[in-house]
Amino acid sequence: MVELEPPAQIAPAPSAWTPAQTRAQFAAIVWLRWRITVNSLARRGGAGELAGRAVTAMIFLGLLFFLVVAAGVAGFFFAAKGHLDRIAWLLWGVFLLCQLLNIQLGQPAVNFDPTQLIRFPMRESIYVEIRLFFGMLTPANLAGTLMAAAAALGIAIATPSLWLYALIALGAFAATQVLFSRMLFAWVDRWLATRRAREALTAVLLALLVGVQWANFALNPVYDHHRTSAFHLSQQHLAWASPLIRISGPALKLLPPELAASALTAASHGSSLRFALGTLGDLAYAVLFLLIFALRMLREFHGENLSEAAAGARPGRADPATMHASTAAPARRAAAADSEPADWPSTPLTPSGATAATQRRVLDIILTGLQKEILYARRNWGVLYALIMPPLMILIFANRFSSAGKSPIWLFPAAVAYILLAVYPLSYNSFGMDGTGVQVYFLAPVRLRDVVLAKNLLIALIAAIEVILIFCLISFQAGVPSPNIVLATLLWAAGTLAVNLIFGNQRSLSAPKQVDPQRMLQRQSSQLSALISLAVLAGCYGLAALFFMACLWLHALWALAPASACFAAAGAGAYELHLRSVDQSALQHREALMEELCRIG
Amino acid sequence: MPPAIAAYALTRSFDGFTAVNHIDLAIEPGQFFGFLGPNGAGKSTTIKMLTGLLAPSSGSVQILGQDLFYNPIEVKRHIGVVPEGMALFAKLTAREYLRFVGRMYGLDKATTEQRSEELLEFMGLTDQSKKLIADYSHGMGKKLAMAAAVIHGPKVLFLDEPFEGVDAIAAGTLKTMLQRMIARGATIFLTSHVLEIVERLCSHVAIINHGQIVAHGSLEELRAGVQARWPQDGAADAGDTSQGRLTLEQIFLNVVGRGAAAHPEQELSWLS
Repeated sequence: MVELEPPAQIAPAPSAWTPAQTRAQFAAIVWLRWRITVNSLARRGGAGELAGRAVTAMIFLGLLFFLVVAAGVAGFFFAAKGHLDRIAWLLWGVFLLCQLLNIQLGQPAVNFDPTQLIRFPMRESIYVEIRLFFGMLTPANLAGTLMAAAAALGIAIATPSLWLYALIALGAFAATQVLFSRMLFAWVDRWLATRRAREALTAVLLALLVGVQWANFALNPVYDHHRTSAFHLSQQHLAWASPLIRISGPALKLLPPELAASALTAASHGSSLRFALGTLGDLAYAVLFLLIFALRMLREFHGENLSEAAAGARPGRADPATMHASTAAPARRAAAADSEPADWPSTPLTPSGATAATQRRVLDIILTGLQKEILYARRNWGVLYALIMPPLMILIFANRFSSAGKSPIWLFPAAVAYILLAVYPLSYNSFGMDGTGVQVYFLAPVRLRDVVLAKNLLIALIAAIEVILIFCLISFQAGVPSPNIVLATLLWAAGTLAVNLIFGNQRSLSAPKQVDPQRMLQRQSSQLSALISLAVLAGCYGLAALFFMACLWLHALWALAPASACFAAAGAGAYELHLRSVDQSALQHREALMEELCRIG
Repeated sequence: MPPAIAAYALTRSFDGFTAVNHIDLAIEPGQFFGFLGPNGAGKSTTIKMLTGLLAPSSGSVQILGQDLFYNPIEVKRHIGVVPEGMALFAKLTAREYLRFVGRMYGLDKATTEQRSEELLEFMGLTDQSKKLIADYSHGMGKKLAMAAAVIHGPKVLFLDEPFEGVDAIAAGTLKTMLQRMIARGATIFLTSHVLEIVERLCSHVAIINHGQIVAHGSLEELRAGVQARWPQDGAADAGDTSQGRLTLEQIFLNVVGRGAAAHPEQELSWLS
């Protein structure tokens, strides 16, 4: 064994950790995040992903601009009208929107596990700071902060004497809401350490989202075409909530949005003390949230182990006698395997050489694949949400469009189009959930086209169930649609399905995206695939709308069904041709597929 | 009788880098074959090409006399694979996964069910069979991947690091199973970094380094080859053999270890 150099020649280690080293750690993490982002974009298909992200970012920025301007205008309006107390409404809206966006848009640091940082030499406080700092930079927090700043600006323009008060009060409010989201998500992550908890919480969240949408449709006068009675109806609907609001009112006044609003009202009345109390109240919340967040981070820092596998693992039943006995079973089976499977086709699986056994085998593979896809769909809350939500919406507001017990001509096609928006995009990353399991398709003696067909059948099955459900709901809520419209819609939906499956299968093979089954509400495909799916659907919808309008204008609605039949037939033909090329395409993209789906982390 | 596994001039390049360079292999039926090499030598690339997971840049592969690329489905009927990533479906339970794999390999329902039960029991996974695979530990996943690889009774088994992360008891169970398969005429192609396991199980070994086969033969042939080279190369590098036979580790280090070993002047002097 070779001796190492004597200690005297070893470079002396620094005796104490220096601030420069801490700064270097921050810089290293920034660099890490940047490199992970750049490297992920440098992968195959990265340019498309970048373009997709750019488009999404532009949409988000457009939305953000609208929200920020709206917050500024609202701040200006309330201040100009002397109703600064109503700023509380605006701030509640900003607060809730910020939290909702945080849930929908996801948390940062998803490209690496930040708990890995605990293995590096850093103080507890630095770890907390790092987690706090990098967690704050979410699009939702940015939106919330900018909206608060815009509201402050609006107030300052309306009443210039309040500019400093507005800046301080809404600055404290913004800090409070950002720290609240950090605290909330740190604890939610802890609670979601087990899969069952994740699924339970996702179910609660989905119910909440459905509830919000229901409330929006049920109570918002905009969605009622009987405008004259809308406000009255909303008041009636809200009547049950009045006692609740009365009881909770005093408690709500102690919460950050109300505190900020009361501070501003006090400032407008010249009461600096009440302003200071309100603002300090907000800051106290901020400190409280920070402390609770820090508590969680410290537990993390000290290496708590929340692994489900570790918790669930039990020693194997290593009974030597039993094992010895059971080894005989595979021995017998292996001998039998030489003659099995009896129905295995001895000829290659080509269309020309198809035999009854071959067809049976192909059918078997497709059914097996379909069974597996159904199991996966059942266990994917993101998919379930996409499937449950639209019929619920139809259920909630279909009766609003009923006229004398008859459903309007456009209702069934529109409802089907709405439903398909949720279903068809699922085909654009059909291998994403398979992860390393995708290798089975290349290892097993199967044709990829059969596997893809099984995956496509699931989409078709889901679409069929949803459409039947929609038909029943609309018939029940708004009257039975005319047979001509139903037939035309079904044929159009079939054609659209074929077109989407062609694009979706191609994107699934050429631009797969690993979907982590452990994470809820994750995007189900790459950014570019999502945009392509939207574009394809928009094209199909546009075509249908044009034809529909033309038929309506020409009083030739009878032509809808034949035209849709032509579209469906063309789609089916194209799909059949496409399916023939799937094996070749899969082989071409085999490496990219496995590189993406079998990667770790 | 054709070789169970044969590769002819198998080559694979990635963007100008040749990971596997013109390798030839001929593994007879019934052999327990160990495929060794340092990290990045080309082991996994080779096994992926032999099983159809990766297309070679050139060369061909035959399994039991059938060309893998011209007749993939027929070949895949007879092979079982535990690939690098284990090929598990995280959102299935173990029983569902075995049922799925069995059906994909063409077993009928009754046989699939029966074998799934036996394999789960054999692997000690029966009481975990309702858990999703996502919640399995690495070792449990390995055992399940092994069960899936043999459910259709393959004649040729490819195992990429099968014992990695598997506890000693389970490793013993797996070894027993593999040896029984060999006794019944199956061929096993195994890669492992645990040389003791390879030495105990394998009758034949090939060593790959920098994408090329640098040694190939039975353990005895390799020992004889290394010992024959010693007078020229110096016995010290391979250790003292006067007490007995060369171990596989000594053979391995002698064949590939010299280039990779650090020179004394490259020692990490700042290590305490």
